[in-house]
Amino acid sequence: MRKRLHTLLTLGATVFTVFLPELVRAAGPAAEMLIVVADSRRVSAGWGRYFVDSYNTNPLWFGLEVTIITALMGVTLGLITDQIMKRIGIDLTSRKIVEH
Amino acid sequence: MKKRFCLYYISCVLTLIFLVTPALAAEVAQGKTVTNDTKTKSITIEEYDINFTPQNKYGNPTGKTMVFDLSEALIGKEAVPGDIVRIAYKVVDGKNKVIRIMNVTRQDIMKK
Amino acid sequence: MLEWYTMYMPISGVDIFWPGLVLIGFSVGCIGGFFGMGGAWMVTPGLNILGFPMAFAIGTDIAHIAGKSMISTFRHSKFGNVDYKLGCIMIIGTVIGIEIGAQVVMWLERLGTIGPVVRWVYVGLLALICIMVFYDYYKANKKKKAGDVGEHGAEGITWYKTLHRIKIPPMVHFKTAGFTCSAWLPIMVSFLTGILAGFLGIGGGLIRMPALVYLIGCPTHIAVGTDLFEVMISGLYGTFTYGAKGRIEIYAVFVMLMGAAIGAQIGTVATKYAKGYGIRIAFGLAVLACMVSIILKQYGFNTSATVLILGAVGSICVYICWIMFSGAAKELREKKAASH
Repeated sequence: MRKRLHTLLTLGATVFTVFLPELVRAAGPAAEMLIVVADSRRVSAGWGRYFVDSYNTNPLWFGLEVTIITALMGVTLGLITDQIMKRIGIDLTSRKIVEH
Repeated sequence: MKKRFCLYYISCVLTLIFLVTPALAAEVAQGKTVTNDTKTKSITIEEYDINFTPQNKYGNPTGKTMVFDLSEALIGKEAVPGDIVRIAYKVVDGKNKVIRIMNVTRQDIMKK
Repeated sequence: MLEWYTMYMPISGVDIFWPGLVLIGFSVGCIGGFFGMGGAWMVTPGLNILGFPMAFAIGTDIAHIAGKSMISTFRHSKFGNVDYKLGCIMIIGTVIGIEIGAQVVMWLERLGTIGPVVRWVYVGLLALICIMVFYDYYKANKKKKAGDVGEHGAEGITWYKTLHRIKIPPMVHFKTAGFTCSAWLPIMVSFLTGILAGFLGIGGGLIRMPALVYLIGCPTHIAVGTDLFEVMISGLYGTFTYGAKGRIEIYAVFVMLMGAAIGAQIGTVATKYAKGYGIRIAFGLAVLACMVSIILKQYGFNTSATVLILGAVGSICVYICWIMFSGAAKELREKKAASH
């Protein structure tokens, strides 16, 4: 039954994704783009200002920056917390992988 | 394990190099549209300050007007006189060249 | 406006209740670590309820998934459970799918209907998760009463056998996973998952995992690893495309990742000490609460929606933390006693 539910979920998702573009098309013609300008006047100089400035100037660059920094931050935080756990003395290496 | 750490540090260093490349800086101005000429592609606004209050959530008028060149700008919803706009611009040869312009009044994305 | 508990988000221009942000990040880490299943389903609605515009909520969610999945993929690749060939072929479908999903989001944003549309799709998705969790519990209970403790029953759906017979070139052999099929099969699966992931700002494991097992015919342990690899790819590409579209609030990503890193450790450790099926019920209730709070938000009851969602995820976190601390304390005590 769980399998059947999984299949149901998969099927539902498939139907939804197939018809989604159609749904949007039916909704009407495209309206104007929404442009967002970040208010850098409210951000003092530093890292925050750097991000806001690149956001306002070059979105593609901003996208690249965010991707790389997020990935590195994830790895860094993961390594740090792993170390902390090891110091405390909780053994994480022997655990079973529990997925689902 | 060592190899992975090496890779990790190399990528960290590369990121730092990548980040100290010339910073992209743009000025930002916000204010009420006075005129918006689509033919000459220029917009005049009355600048607002950043003293936001519940009564004036877009800031208070400073009385100063600024003229911007929209020829290379990324424009969303067209601004009509009276709209509050927020503009990211660069000063090139004494001209305020707009990079992108946001129509704060008409695209209240906060509500969605 | 500038009370201590609000933080100005410079890009979306909203003031956000930041403890709520930390709590959501922490809970996602905690619940994700404990159940091994994303947990991103609560981030988009959660961020939207806290006050982010919907497109920003989706973009920020996907960016935080990218950060979180990096580390779990690193951990998992150690066990050799990833079929990289399959993963790489699936990248094609995933990337195109994510892009389409993101484009649809931007389109709906222009039309001004993004909020309600995404919220109702989420309500549907969470309802399905809810049914799955509660049905599982019901079934396990019934089995226990009947005295049946055997492992999974006979092999159920074997659609992949039929699907493997479709021989549209190029045919590819996957060594780690151990089967041969048309390359179009994984590409189509990842494409459809990608659209959903890009549209809802989730990792997509919820759909991709069963699809890998039942439609593609991956052994479960390979499916888990390959799915994680794919979540990482979809997170990274999603981050890039939503960043380029200007719909990521980078401050919020940082704040949430901090919470998630700590939460994930607590969650994974807690799995060591967890016993019984009761926690599943708590999980199902959290999903239910999340669903109700989305509906509340849709009808404009912002404060009650915030209280409900934060309360629900907060209490399940407290539960998991309690399992972890009591279990860990016991283990450390026993270690000490053994060394004396």
